Amino acid sequence: MSGWEGFLHGLSVAVQPDVLIYCVFGVVLGTFVGVLPGIGAMATISLLLPITYYLSPEAALVMLAGVYYGSQYGGAVASILLRLPGTPQSAVTTLDGYPLAQQGRAGVALFTSMISSFFGSFIGIFVLILLSGVLASAATAFGAADYAAMMILGLVAASTIGAKHPAKGLAMVVLGLILGCVGTDVNSGVQRFTFGQTELMDGVNLVALAMGLFGVAEVIANIHVAERTGVPPRVALRDLLPSRAELRRIPFPALRGASLGSFFGALPGTGSTISSFLAYAAERRISRHPERFGNGAIEGVAGPEAANNAAAISAFVPTLALGIPGDPIMALMLGALVIHGVQPGPLMLEARPDMFWGLIASFGIGNLLLLILNLPLIGIWVSMLRIPFRWLYPAILIFVCLGVYSVRGSSFDIFAVALIGAIGYALSLARFNPALLLLGFVLGPLIETNLRRALLISRGDAMVFLQRPIAAAFVIATGLLIVMALVQTIRRKSRGAQEAA
Amino acid sequence: MIISRRAALLGAAAVSLCKPALAQDAAWPSQPQHVFVGFPAGSSPDLLARIVTEPLAAKLGQPIVIENKPGAGGVIGIQQMLNAKDRDNTFATTINGPLTTAPRLTPNLGYDVAKDIAPVVLIATSPLVLVVAADFPADDLAGFIAAAGKEPEALSYGSVGKGSGAHLTAELFSDRAGVEMLHIPFTSYAEVTTAIIGHEIDSGFMAPSAAMQYVKAGKLKILGITSQKPFAQAPGVPVMAGQAGLPADFRAELWNAFIAPAGTDAGVIATLNSDINAILADEAVQKRLLDMGWQAAGGTPEELQQRIADDTKIWGAVLDRIDAKN
Repeated sequence: MSGWEGFLHGLSVAVQPDVLIYCVFGVVLGTFVGVLPGIGAMATISLLLPITYYLSPEAALVMLAGVYYGSQYGGAVASILLRLPGTPQSAVTTLDGYPLAQQGRAGVALFTSMISSFFGSFIGIFVLILLSGVLASAATAFGAADYAAMMILGLVAASTIGAKHPAKGLAMVVLGLILGCVGTDVNSGVQRFTFGQTELMDGVNLVALAMGLFGVAEVIANIHVAERTGVPPRVALRDLLPSRAELRRIPFPALRGASLGSFFGALPGTGSTISSFLAYAAERRISRHPERFGNGAIEGVAGPEAANNAAAISAFVPTLALGIPGDPIMALMLGALVIHGVQPGPLMLEARPDMFWGLIASFGIGNLLLLILNLPLIGIWVSMLRIPFRWLYPAILIFVCLGVYSVRGSSFDIFAVALIGAIGYALSLARFNPALLLLGFVLGPLIETNLRRALLISRGDAMVFLQRPIAAAFVIATGLLIVMALVQTIRRKSRGAQEAA
Repeated sequence: MIISRRAALLGAAAVSLCKPALAQDAAWPSQPQHVFVGFPAGSSPDLLARIVTEPLAAKLGQPIVIENKPGAGGVIGIQQMLNAKDRDNTFATTINGPLTTAPRLTPNLGYDVAKDIAPVVLIATSPLVLVVAADFPADDLAGFIAAAGKEPEALSYGSVGKGSGAHLTAELFSDRAGVEMLHIPFTSYAEVTTAIIGHEIDSGFMAPSAAMQYVKAGKLKILGITSQKPFAQAPGVPVMAGQAGLPADFRAELWNAFIAPAGTDAGVIATLNSDINAILADEAVQKRLLDMGWQAAGGTPEELQQRIADDTKIWGAVLDRIDAKN
């Protein structure tokens, strides 16, 4: 079955009333849990898992997937309005989305994020239809050396995000890398920096880190304005929509972001995180006014949001076609399929075309629904900002605690989020960028394990990074990026020297 | 995930008939029961727990809440069961690792298996299969051992981390076969299969359920199975024991058991044991377990106790050997 035939066949599955109803239910639920800080797709899907026993496998998968990509739409809302990203992907959205909200342009930021998300998803679906076979084989073609080289490229490219103060950006990346070392070393089984805490054996909890650095830190930073009694003025509908000039800045960043997202999302592991950071870094590099980034650039919202939604779609390729889940949520989804006796893997496309293509088709329907659902909601989300801080912030803290606890039911993580929040506040006082810390934290352990694994497999021969074509391409790209950055710096310096002379 | 050696050969059906005389408080269970699982929702140990607790709740007439407390290879689930301090109402299902190798591998374990854990029943066992890429030059175990024996570390194998079942089984195998293989740790079986298919590594031990579909798709082939008898889910796969110079008692298995905190009422344990044995005797349950790669087991609490002691010894010796090598 070709991609298009498959997709059409899938549509006939996805529009069956029972499947359609669960699709609607999934995306609506996903949007709302995505908006609630901390309570994300993971916890929701875990709770829904027992219910899926009573559904057909198609309906179950379509519903769970709807929660997953629906939460990506919702996640942007908390990132933009409250600087509360639930995941590293949406952390990037805070960089320009939150400044926009502070300038009273929250509606514009939300609109941009919704449209770009929708755009990203649809490009992701197209890529999936055209290239599902190629994408699936990409995941097996990638070896440890290739992953290590790719992630190093991601780290180098993204560390230019805080380019105003390169040293501060670097410090955050390094701190993230150090935090990423906590836990059991895969190779030796040695406990690193766990201080005897069993809870730290699997490392610092990612959600606790993201919530603490962004959410709790933001709440602390706002304590002194919490007594403010005045309520922000009601926003007129006109102000919710972007101006024509702003609208024009959405399509190309979204297109670039979606292409990055579609490709990297198909690689199990970190695809979607890397893609949203790369999309941001790329927009910043291409822009003629990079100084606008970090102060409310529309492109800084459009690129990453398109990227992470495209990645959320293509992440299903390795999960379904190879049985390799890219992240814990995908692993959960795999478990849901196994309950129904469906074994995702190389045989899935042939053995269960109904399910595979039905799911892909439901992505199209679901994303359309999400756009229709979310555009009218923008006004309501924005009015959330009119809730007095003395009510809003305690509520946020409660949701943060609930969300962190829901990840693995550990009260240790609640204390961790409090401590991380205090540290995050100190960092924000010193104007450090916590998004880079998060990136270092996510990529660090993966770079380390893949680097060591690659060297183990090559029996210690470092040339493996140049002998494998994929790895070599990433190494060369990384080298070029560093050279470009050096040349730029030297030019700027010498120009400065000439002007001074 | 971690492993054990011996198949529980007892017919679960036979055991379930010997329902012990109950000397317990007739009111139990008077409230919802909690079963801790040290792995996330949707994982294999979690699904297994759900398959067993669903009919168990019906038998007990009380809902059973699955408490997923993932982390530290399943150890956190057991710690949380013990922390709950609600005897007779909190239990756990666990893989073998936290009861056998964890005392060696996990500092500050926080519990003593012999003193703090009351075994209830062995739920299921799973053998492992030795897997290579479909185009691997050898087609049988003898060919594999010959290739591995050419020089130390001639072949590599993937595991899901140091001390995992895949790692310990491969080390036990290398020791018995007299070869030395290069260990490449990964974090999941999916990564190991991908690396074998992509020819990054040569081989790996894994659950049949993780390998079978790749075999059907013509990407992997299986050279042998670590159980003493052929396994229904891996038809036609030869038993490794006694083959190609391996001793006849060679075996390695993962298992999953139902446990309670020490001090749980003996009558409660007896009821649970007989109820779960009855559930495991149900063919529909057996089939659901088998679809996931688990062979329903059963038996008495004492047999589980013995199994824990035996496996602790066997894997302890393998760990000694690994430590001596490093």
